Amino acid sequence: MAHYKILGQDPYWMNFFGLMFLTLVEVAAVGLDLSDFAAGYDTTEKVVTLWILTLIAIPKFIMIAAIFMHLYGDDDSKILTMTALFPAFFIIIMVLFIGLTHPDAATGLPDWCRPGNYGL
Amino acid sequence: MGVAIFLFSLAQAWSYGTYTPGHIPTILLGLAVVGFSLFIWWRQDISFDGHYEPLATGVPFRGIQIRKVAVWVFLMSEMMVFTSLFSTYMRYRLGIENCGTVFDRGLFDPVTNPTGWQEGVAVTCFEPASHLIASSWWHLAPGAINTFALILSSFTIVQALRYAKMPDLDDEVRRKKVYRYLGSTWLLAILFLTLKMVEWFIGFYVPEISVIGLHEHDIVSLVSEGYTINADHYQHHSYIDEATGAHMVANIQVSASLFYVTTGTHGAHVAGGIIGLSYMTLKAWKGLYTPANAVSIEYFGLYWHFVDLVWVLVFPFFYLY
Repeated sequence: MAHYKILGQDPYWMNFFGLMFLTLVEVAAVGLDLSDFAAGYDTTEKVVTLWILTLIAIPKFIMIAAIFMHLYGDDDSKILTMTALFPAFFIIIMVLFIGLTHPDAATGLPDWCRPGNYGL
Repeated sequence: MGVAIFLFSLAQAWSYGTYTPGHIPTILLGLAVVGFSLFIWWRQDISFDGHYEPLATGVPFRGIQIRKVAVWVFLMSEMMVFTSLFSTYMRYRLGIENCGTVFDRGLFDPVTNPTGWQEGVAVTCFEPASHLIASSWWHLAPGAINTFALILSSFTIVQALRYAKMPDLDDEVRRKKVYRYLGSTWLLAILFLTLKMVEWFIGFYVPEISVIGLHEHDIVSLVSEGYTINADHYQHHSYIDEATGAHMVANIQVSASLFYVTTGTHGAHVAGGIIGLSYMTLKAWKGLYTPANAVSIEYFGLYWHFVDLVWVLVFPFFYLY
């Protein structure tokens, strides 16, 4: 259990309000027209949205893991955080070598990865 | 192991639309293993008073509850499951051209536009579910409400743990607080799966509220929109060439399969959580949680927060982007 405060308040309530706020920003980012903003940075609205969603997902992820899952502030937090981060190495390998295989990601998908195989 | 036997046998029994009854015994075996495991778990947990919680003796987990470490090791394997789904999503999303991009190239013309699409010829492209889901606030509502529901449920379960662990709380007050918070978590999980069904299969009706300028209309489910795993002639309502009225049809089997498999795997985890929460709520209602054995709520809570954690990534990348 948490034995600390966030801004002098209960950490679970603060975390809950923080997560709710970030989710509202996330939903708003998709609904708002960001095309002018995107044009200012010489990119598309979809790219701006992706950046916003990614940047919001990171603190949300950390807030849940650190406060709700007690990876911060408990006696065993340090070793359990190390345990939780252990798969990170494999996750990075998987994402880099499967998810983001470049430079031919757009054209080089083999036939067996495409629809029309396996009777589908 | 029981779940694996069950799923593999189920897949074998209904492979590519062909029913093979020879796999029914192994399906039942899988269910029996799951059922037996749940029974053993129930026998151990219902009588658990917290006085024989085994602690790890070796490094690096010395002094930490073995069951807590085991839950974390289990969550590590879960991370790998969802990472494989996410990396597959990234690979296909980058590897197959977006349907919107294909449509923007315009209608095929052998001289002026040789790379365009042709009416009646299905284009293989990636159609993210967000094209339908994020098309209006009403379409997005079930997914957005589900996001808030999961965050709220993470909060309610941590509150249940807090009150169960309070040493100086009256037993009756503790009983009420814990079962109400666990019951709320259970309700939110049910809400999550219900809205998932609404979003996938049912759709919903939006009534006319003239005061706020709302017009009566139906929100069609994803399946009714044609967004299915075998959609080889899918047509989004915006894929119509304004000048000629020609329709672009697309083969979206990969993108739709990825969406349903990933969100479905997450949904299966929520369903599994509902089973655990049903038991825990009943146990709390009977007043069987004390500060000594409240760690059971903590262990389950770790799993439940993980389910929320996965949704934090699934929602933006599968529903919004």
